[in-house]
Amino acid sequence: MVNFTRRSTLGLGAAAAGSLILPRFSIAQADQRPSITVAVQKISNSNTLDTLREQSNVGTRIFNSSLWETLIGTKWLSDLTATPGLATEWRRIDDKTLELKLRQGVKFHNGDEMTAEDVVFSFSKERMFGNTQPSTGKTIFVTEKNPLGRESKELPVEIPAVARRFWPALLGVEIVDKYTVRFVNGSSDVTMEGRLSAVASAIASRRAWDESKSYLDWARKPITTGPYKVAEFKPDTYLIYESHDQYWGGLPALKRIRFVEVPEVASRINGLLSGEYDLASDIPPDQIQGIEKNAGFEVLGGTITNHRLTVFDKTHPQLANPLVRRAFTHAIDRQAIVDSLWAGRTKVPAGLQWDFYADMLIKDWKVPEYNPELARKLLKDAGYKGDPIPYRLLNNYYTNQTPTAQVLVEMWNQVGLNVQIEMKENWQQILEKTPTRAVRDWSNSANFSDPVSSIVAQHGPNGQQQQVGEWTNEEMNTLSNFMETSTDRAKRREAFARMLQICERDDPAYTVLHQNAVFTAKSKKTKWKAAASFAMDFRAGNWG
Amino acid sequence: MLRFFLIRALRAFMTIVLVVTFAFVVLRLSGDPALIIMGPEAPPDAIIAFRKAWGLDQPIWIQYLSYFGAILGGDLGISMRDGQSAISLVMDRIPATLQLTVPALILKLMIGIPSGVYAALHRDSAVDRGVMAGAVIGFTMPSFVFGLILVLLFSVTWGLLPSGGRDSWMHAILPIVTMSIGGAGILARFSRSAMIEILGQPYMRTASAKGLPWRRVIWEHAFPNAAIPIVTITGFMVGTLIAGAVVVESLFSWPGIGRLLVVSVSNRDLAVVQCILLMVAATMVISNFVVDILYGYLDPRLRNNQARH
Repeated sequence: MVNFTRRSTLGLGAAAAGSLILPRFSIAQADQRPSITVAVQKISNSNTLDTLREQSNVGTRIFNSSLWETLIGTKWLSDLTATPGLATEWRRIDDKTLELKLRQGVKFHNGDEMTAEDVVFSFSKERMFGNTQPSTGKTIFVTEKNPLGRESKELPVEIPAVARRFWPALLGVEIVDKYTVRFVNGSSDVTMEGRLSAVASAIASRRAWDESKSYLDWARKPITTGPYKVAEFKPDTYLIYESHDQYWGGLPALKRIRFVEVPEVASRINGLLSGEYDLASDIPPDQIQGIEKNAGFEVLGGTITNHRLTVFDKTHPQLANPLVRRAFTHAIDRQAIVDSLWAGRTKVPAGLQWDFYADMLIKDWKVPEYNPELARKLLKDAGYKGDPIPYRLLNNYYTNQTPTAQVLVEMWNQVGLNVQIEMKENWQQILEKTPTRAVRDWSNSANFSDPVSSIVAQHGPNGQQQQVGEWTNEEMNTLSNFMETSTDRAKRREAFARMLQICERDDPAYTVLHQNAVFTAKSKKTKWKAAASFAMDFRAGNWG
Repeated sequence: MLRFFLIRALRAFMTIVLVVTFAFVVLRLSGDPALIIMGPEAPPDAIIAFRKAWGLDQPIWIQYLSYFGAILGGDLGISMRDGQSAISLVMDRIPATLQLTVPALILKLMIGIPSGVYAALHRDSAVDRGVMAGAVIGFTMPSFVFGLILVLLFSVTWGLLPSGGRDSWMHAILPIVTMSIGGAGILARFSRSAMIEILGQPYMRTASAKGLPWRRVIWEHAFPNAAIPIVTITGFMVGTLIAGAVVVESLFSWPGIGRLLVVSVSNRDLAVVQCILLMVAATMVISNFVVDILYGYLDPRLRNNQARH
């Protein structure tokens, strides 16, 4: 028989109370991770969190490494090269087929395990391609499990078009077993691995899609495998991520991330200095010095995989002669722009290519040298008489765009080019095909580590420059086709070198000004590293 | 009286038609929503698909007729940017804007009118000069400058108030003060000049001469007569309750109608812009109508004139 004394009863009571309290206390103690607020200029242009709808730098920031994940990952904090992601290994079956072994035990935000079916769904007509067909052959649809309520989830019209740009010849994805898939292309393609690492190829939960009432419901709270899940998204206002504690890559560094949209630079900086924001993004270079005058704050960041260009319309009478366009390229002191407008915190790249191209990088390639004498000679040889050349300009769509344009116009005037700025309000006015279209600004990104992702995508036959009728070159188009279909890496490298020669020297389509850079301000006490990308990495190990 | 109402209703309808037409033409001729919404790096076929889906490939007059027909049928359209109905997007933002503009209006009235009247009653005194100097500074200083100064002082330097966002009532203080100060200055100046004009009228001397207490002279004879220009200005301020916070909302990251308007105009999201314009026009029209009624209440001569119509 148990004797209950007053002391033992009190002790039991205390123990019982403790048993109720302690688990909570230990959970609380275990979860001492911070919650942070990040001020950004824009959260999402499309008001969705769909990687295929939000094709922008701001999308890159909130998607990559936080929400969405791809089969082949990217080393965001180092050299942006490929790394195992949701697939642990991959091999070529042939030039058109890639087999991937999926990582086992990966949990979606809804608790489901990721399997081959989710991968097939992520590349299906429901999610990606709509009624479009690959450029070669017909789509193979391996699995068609009873869709639940998909009739109300009609894709926005632009999604299939964007998806086909990423996967022009993908016939389909085959399930080998629960953890093995095969990507089958209609034509030879050495860039399949690269395409799989682009965020447009991220993996979504099939069940979550099926259970969503509408496309918009899904696109504002997609269920993915990333380290953070969407807790709340209020378009144009804030986006709250919460830790996905079952994340395969370890417990995320933060309990909660709140991105708040603060359109004004001054407001972002003030909010950081007053302690409301932990990080303030999209800091213009001319504000860096002012922020760093405060001893407790610093500005991180640097170059990203995006280059600023000046683009030529060779159908304009003054630009028809390539010598005139070459004169433009030699009249620019790019380093002066980097030093004066970017405080030296970006660089002049080696043409339209990036270091992460690895073996496809043309190492001895350079932008045209700054040589005003040569520029003057080229203009003389071209018989240019000083006729006006319009330069359509947006007001700081790109960082430092207007001051850069003013500097450029002065540099061009120095060699005898009569370039006149015409301020425009939007891209339609910039691209409109009228007699005054001649020179404009642009930026080009590389979505994956191959020239197909940039020079081919943007200046090849299907790229914007040719589609709007600014520029075309027969040899460039042949080489673009070769780059997309050849598997001979040495010959592809040669072809890429020739493309640079055509687009940047022989028949200039554009000239690269500088690499773009992005800056984030923070307190020095915050231990966080910025990636060489718009992506903000908050995974385990990058905070504290 | 019926004629009075009908004329004003017809005028209001024509105003709204003109606003809608003007906004449609300006927005559609100055930019292609497909290219603006999808950005300069969007694949050309995606842009073509977008244009086709939203009817942007049709001649502009067909687009206008179909749009206007839908409005007459009560359909204000769908946002091209995020596929939601424009009216739901706008209604979602109105409470946030009213949280700033209504307290700001009250503050303007509470500061502007008493200070203007007080300055008039103490004309040429140090108080009068001080009030007028404050009023001039208030309405000449741009709200974004004033707002930044307040943030610098109250948020960055003293850490007393948040610098932006809409998380608590504390977040509303700086934007409300920023919005109030210009309007309060305007009201102070109008109140002062209206009162000074009335105080010089012969009937004011008569009222004083017949022995009425000074307080009654002011409240019963001066103030009602000075109220007409004040009511006019207040009417304009009420009319801007919905759309009057564009700059302040951007500066303080306040997610109201002003920011929605800026984003929608820059994206050429026609349905949303039109929806906001319709709301603003309707508010203006109602406000003007109320002001007209108040004129009649304040001035019997106008009331009799309205009745004759």
